[in-house]
Formats: sequence, C-alpha cells, structure tokens
Amino acid sequence: MRSAVYNSAIPKVINPAAGMASGVRLLTFFLFVLALPLCVHAADWNAPEQQLAHKIVAITGPGAIAVTIDNRSTLGQREVEIVSNGLRAALEATGIRSATPEQAVATVAISLSENPRAYVWVAEIHQGSAAPVVVMISAVRPEGTTLAHDSVPLMLRKTAVWSQQDRILDVLALDDAPTPAHIAVLSAENISLYRMQNAKWTLEESLAIVHARPWPRDLRGRLFSAKDHLLDAYLPGMICHATASAPLALNCRESDDPWPLAPISLTSSAPPSFGTSSAAQSAVMSTSAFFASSRNFFTGALAPSVGKFSTVAKFFSSAAISREKYVLWLFASVDGQVHLVDGVTDQAARLNWGSDIASVKTGCGAGWQVLATSSDTQNGDQVRAFEFPDRDPVPVSAAMDFPGEITALWTESKGDTAIAVVQNRESGEYEAVRLAVACNQ
Amino acid sequence: MRRFVWLWLAISSLVGAQCALSETRPQYGGTLHVSLHAAPGSLDPASATDSFELRNLTSLLFETMVETDDAGRLRPGLSSSWQSGSNQRRWQFRLRRGIKFHDGTLLTAEGAAAALRAANPAWRVLSEADQVIIELDAPNATFPAELALRRHAIVKRNSDGSLAGTGPFHISDWQPGKKLSLAAEESYWRGRPFVDAIEIELGKNTHDQQLAFELGRAQLIDVPAEQVHRDAMAGYHAISSQPIELLALVFTREAQSPEEKALREALALSIERSSIRNVLLQGTGQPTASILPNWMNGYGFVFPTDANLSAARHAREQVRATPAWTISYDAGDGLSRLIAERVTLNARDAELNLQPTSNSSADVRLARIPLTSDARSALVEVARAADLPMPKIASDSADDLYTAESAMLSSRRLIPLFHLPVNYACAATVKACQVSSSGAWNLQNVWLGPPKP
Repeated sequence: MRSAVYNSAIPKVINPAAGMASGVRLLTFFLFVLALPLCVHAADWNAPEQQLAHKIVAITGPGAIAVTIDNRSTLGQREVEIVSNGLRAALEATGIRSATPEQAVATVAISLSENPRAYVWVAEIHQGSAAPVVVMISAVRPEGTTLAHDSVPLMLRKTAVWSQQDRILDVLALDDAPTPAHIAVLSAENISLYRMQNAKWTLEESLAIVHARPWPRDLRGRLFSAKDHLLDAYLPGMICHATASAPLALNCRESDDPWPLAPISLTSSAPPSFGTSSAAQSAVMSTSAFFASSRNFFTGALAPSVGKFSTVAKFFSSAAISREKYVLWLFASVDGQVHLVDGVTDQAARLNWGSDIASVKTGCGAGWQVLATSSDTQNGDQVRAFEFPDRDPVPVSAAMDFPGEITALWTESKGDTAIAVVQNRESGEYEAVRLAVACNQ
Repeated sequence: MRRFVWLWLAISSLVGAQCALSETRPQYGGTLHVSLHAAPGSLDPASATDSFELRNLTSLLFETMVETDDAGRLRPGLSSSWQSGSNQRRWQFRLRRGIKFHDGTLLTAEGAAAALRAANPAWRVLSEADQVIIELDAPNATFPAELALRRHAIVKRNSDGSLAGTGPFHISDWQPGKKLSLAAEESYWRGRPFVDAIEIELGKNTHDQQLAFELGRAQLIDVPAEQVHRDAMAGYHAISSQPIELLALVFTREAQSPEEKALREALALSIERSSIRNVLLQGTGQPTASILPNWMNGYGFVFPTDANLSAARHAREQVRATPAWTISYDAGDGLSRLIAERVTLNARDAELNLQPTSNSSADVRLARIPLTSDARSALVEVARAADLPMPKIASDSADDLYTAESAMLSSRRLIPLFHLPVNYACAATVKACQVSSSGAWNLQNVWLGPPKP
C-alpha cells in the first residue's frame, strides 16, 4: 500500500449564482451578506470551539473557572465576539461555570493567535501555585470574501469567474450568459474546461499543453473562440486548437504566427477606409501582431499593417477604438509610453498607464472605452475606464481596486467585457474576474 | 448633477495620478549589481556553514527536489510528485523531464541520485527510470521537508572541482570570497530570468556597501538588523523578511546536574531582552523565549521573555557553588559581541559568573541560527545546529509542535533570545525587489527599470 504525499492543488471555485434575474440576485446578495457572519460561525468555528473547551476541561475538570479571551490574530472584532461567545458556550456545555478570579478554582487565559496556515487558539491554565498548563488547537482559516467597488459616472463592475493557485493566463467564456457557466481556463500547462452544474463548477476536461521549450518568465497567453472548432490558444511560440466535438483534443504546434489583437466579434474583414466616411463604426480591422516567443511582449510587427504602419514600437498590449473615419489603435509599449496609431500618424504619449490595456465596446458613453491598469504600490493595481474624444484620454469611471498585481487584461469574445487576472497579495492565488462597463442612469 | 460628476471625476483623476504609478510588466535585460557582507569560500550547498546569504546565493544556481513556500507548505521542485511506502522508510520522487544542468547535460534520476549520495553518504539512494528512491534507516513522515533544505540541492560536481546546477543563473566568474558573476540561463525550465547578469561583490563591510549603494555602484545590499531603521530614515528602500533568524545562547553540553540546570534557568531569567532590543538592535527583531517565532507557530507568546531578576537570584541561591562560565561569539560580528557583553552584565546582576571570550571552546556560545519556513524542519535544523537530540514531531499541528519545542527547551541547553529578520536595501531601479517571509530574495524575478520620476 502506498500513500501519496503530494497532489496538485484543487482549484477553488467561485459560484456566480448563474441564471438568476438581476433583482433576485441583488436580494440574494444582501441576504447572503447579512447571513455571512452566522454562516461563518456555524460552519467554521463550532468544531474548534468544542475541541478547545474539551481540552481545557480535561485539565481543570468541571467547576468555577475565570476565563479571559485575548485576540492576537487578524480576526476582526465581530468574529472575535462570535468566537468568544462560542467558546464560553462550549465551556459551559462541558460543565465549566464562569466565575471571578477570586471565586475560581482555576484561571484560563485564552489567546486567539495564528500562524501562516491556521488559527491557533491557546489556553494557558493556572491552578494554584503549579506551573501553568498550556493546551491549544489549530483551526483552518476560512476563505476570504472580496466585494467589488463601483463608482460613477460609468461604473466598472467585476464579476468573479475563477480562481486557482496556478497562474491564469486567460479565461474564455464558452456561453453567452451574463455570468458565465461554461468556461475554459488557460494555464501554463493545460486548458481546463469547467461547467457550472448544480451551483458548483465541475471540471469537464483538462487538456495538456505539450511544449518542448520552457516558457518565458511572466508567461502570457490568450484564448479565442473559433468558428469551426472550440477555441484557439495562443502562447509564446505556440498555437493550439481544441476540437469542438467529443472526445475533445488539443493540437498544439510550435508557431510564430501572429496573435489576433481583437476578438472576432469586434473585427471586420474589410480594410478601414482612411480619410473616408465609410469605415465601420461598429468594427475594427482584424489585425494581428507577432509575439516574441521567449519574452513577454509583442515585437511590434503587425499583420496586416495599420494604415501605413507595418511595425510599431514593441508593446505589451493594445486597444482599438473604432471612429467614424478610422480606427485608433493604442499600443502600451515596453518603454512605458502609449502609442496612438491611426494609420497615418504614430503619436507617443506618457499617460501614466500600466502595461495592460484593453478596449470594450458598450452601449454607454461614447460607445467604446479603454480599460487601463495603473499601480498603487501600497494596495495593489487598479483599472479605470477612459474614453478618447480626441487624442487625450478622459477618465469615465472611478478606479477599481484590485487586491494585488494584475497579470492579464484581455477583451472577451463578445467585445463588451474584459477578463482581468489578478494575483491576490494575501492568498497568492490567481483570480480571474469579468470587467464590465455599466452605464450610469 | 452630471456636470458635478464629471468635475468630480476630473479632479479625482488628477489626484489619483499623483498616487498611482504606471504599472508595467517586467522588462528583460541589464545587469544587477549586488554587494554583500558575506564572503563564502565555497558555493557548494552541502558545505557545513549555513546562512541566509549562502542560501540565497546558492538558490540562484542550484535547486532542490522539493521546495517550501512561505507558509511552510511543500511544493514540487525538480521532482513533480513523491510518495512513500506505508512504513515511510522508502520514498520515491518522480523527476521532472527535460531539465538540464548548466553544462548542457540532462538531469537524470541517476544524476540526481548521485548528487544526493555525494552530499549524504549515510542515505541509500537509488534510481529507477525517472524516479529517485531513498531508503531510510527509520520511518520519517516528514522526509520530503528534509529534502527541501538547501544542503540537499542537486549539484553536479565535476572532476575539476567545478559545480553545475539547474537554477536560473550559471556561473560566469567565481573568485571565492570576493566576487561572483552570474549569467541568466537562457533555457531555464521555469523561464529565463529577467536580468541578463548579476555581479555580486562579496566580503564588503557595511560602510563600503552603503557607499557603493549611494554612488549607484550597487543596487542591492544586505543591511544588518541594527541598521534597518537608520537606513530607512536615510531614504533607503529596505525590504525585510519575517523574523526568521534565531539568536540564542547554546551550551556546549547537557547540564550535568539539577544544580547546573538551575543556574542555566537563572541565566535565562536574568537577560533583559527588551533593553537589548531597544539599544543594541535599535528596535529591530523580536525578543523570544521560544525556538520558533510566533508568526510561524502561533504560540510563541506563552514562553515569557521578560527578565525576572528576583527569580533569577532565587534560582541562583539554590546552588552553593557557582561555576565560571565562558561565552563565545563570532568575532567578526559586532552585534554578537555587544549582545554577548550585555548578557554578561545581566548575568552578573544575578550573581552568575560569565566571561566573554573569543575562544571557540567556551561553555556557552551566542549562535545565529537560520530557520526555515517549515516549522518542523526549522526545529530539526535548530536541534542539529545546537547539537540537541532530534525532536520527535508527530505532525505539524500547533499542539505537536509545542510539545516538541517544549521538550527541546526543557533541558536549558538552548536559551532563545531574539528572532531577527533578514534585511536588504534595493535601489529604485530594481523592480519586484522582494524578500520572502523566509528570507529568500528570488532574484530571478527582479527586473531593472527606470528610476521613479
């Protein structure tokens, strides 16, 4: 008989409560928030409270005890109150009566402490002049909950989609639901397909990405839905196609083919008509760019060219805004500048943006917004929506805070939302969220 | 209303621009210049000395089969998975495929087994296909954690004395104790490092390091614990680990009688840790009477650290004859000398006879013991460093750790004093400059950017 010691981490699931009408969802959310402390107490603290109470009574026996409880952990005041009440109740259930130190046969100093893996609750038991006896228990930390932050006049909304320990390169929604219930998650070594069933994500398939060369550090990758098969995955120096029908298969080949810069839904096969009024306002030219196979940026070579520009400065990400007479491309270049390329001019600007930008086509404001990252070194990265009435960006939303560094920001297939991936500073996990621009009424 | 909103947004955007920085992805290229106090004569991870500097230097070159994260959890390293037989004496580690040493040769199971055998002659190490098999004399449920220790890194020791590893950098020039030049390993299996090269000056004193830092000749220097606050006030970007280094008094032998144990108890009670911290450590570090820091075990606070001179004198008075102890310290470590002298004064207040000496055969020594982020491994390493009996740790629950730690302390062979952090100062041009809880600097993730505007 063998006992396996190491297994891959199981990805954590974010339940989006798919399929509910928005009013019901809102009501459910508020009920959930109101009920959260009770749920946490009932689900997480009861067992450790009982364990510690039993350990204490095993030393003191039933009787009058003076108990103090001190918080040395990151537990909030509300949770400390819940735990304190629970501990006192658990002690009473074991036959211990609360008393003043003068009346008590023993004093018990309980400390709510913690270490990197667990909460550690320690009881120091003093009986007479004997040396204190120390008992303790460990309680696994509950998962944290984060809530999105919205503001005016356009609002950015984020919907949690997926989180896991391994780096998430991109997430592709395989359905059209406002909250996806069927997704593909691109990681360094596989593409995993998950489906929401009975309010739980279920792994449908995990398709391994076989690659001979090591991936570059700061690995990037992108998923696109495809017309005649399930999806395409673009990775540095490699392209993979996933078949549409069962059994699913992933065919990967080494390739330096350019990556599409915009999803199919936003693109038009017709070339833009520079200087005329016939260019489509609802679509941008399907432009691709070559990605450096051993680095983390696009080389700047475009295919086909944007107007007269077949190359631009090396860039990390791009965004396109369709105008009446042309398409304005924004390239976040590796030197920190943003290049605004309209096919005729290439104008560089220092916008104090980060290296990840993406455009979304919405029914709000001017119709197209650019989502741009920035960094707050104390608190994590931020995303803000901008519009370009001309060549200067105008912020149209408040900055949305993220609990860590944003490692990916890609426009989604439908073009009206984007996927942002953040590495949570607290947990170290990668969290994929859908960013949507909501109109302010 | 709408006009107000736009006005508010424009103002908040302007204000935000002052606080927000342009977040940028890492950029490749450049040479990182480092200046360190340590002057190792060997880069072999199996060398007897252990320090955070040596751990960090060797981690750039060599890797272990298993790794430990900041929370002390085991993670795959060169081996992708592992398992044991039911008796936990035979352990099998499956090697990742396609990993190469810096000299271009493929890392095979036999190569890894040979490296482990060379560093651990007492182990019976075999290879079978892509698996390394280690057979132990006694069951060891925590053996993978042992394999995560830096001294068990996989090293290819060539006949000419040179070393090759599988890490993110390879050696381009090595002048023992003076200078180490490293170049990025282009085909590193976890991705090429961002910087092209690292130039490390070794054996530099604090003054020279700070001068080099201020003149821009060094972008990363190590900072002694007692200098951290001073450097922070001077505007250095200081980064610190959690308190991860144990500063402790270690007696060279077990107490020979209950009286001797009582005297050691008196010594432990006499030490004024808080004043030593305030004056000598300049407020850095945490006074401790436990082996593991409180952030790691969650119960360290139950071991009292306050001096109790009356209790110390009472313990001392129970013993008729007081031996004259000698206390040694690292002569090259000014902080250790000062602390040893202060401990001597505290001992005299308790009517104990303690004399500082640079003689290595002293009765008690002031030791600096680097810990690991895995609590069980840390206790084992302390036992090894202090020549204590190996602790028996049933599991990594707080309860079991407390039991093991209490047993280790009960003999009074070891008197913990402080837990100190590992500190570095980074230039503004060094991005992603971080030190982990366990003191690792992870220079493969560092990249060079323009200075802050």
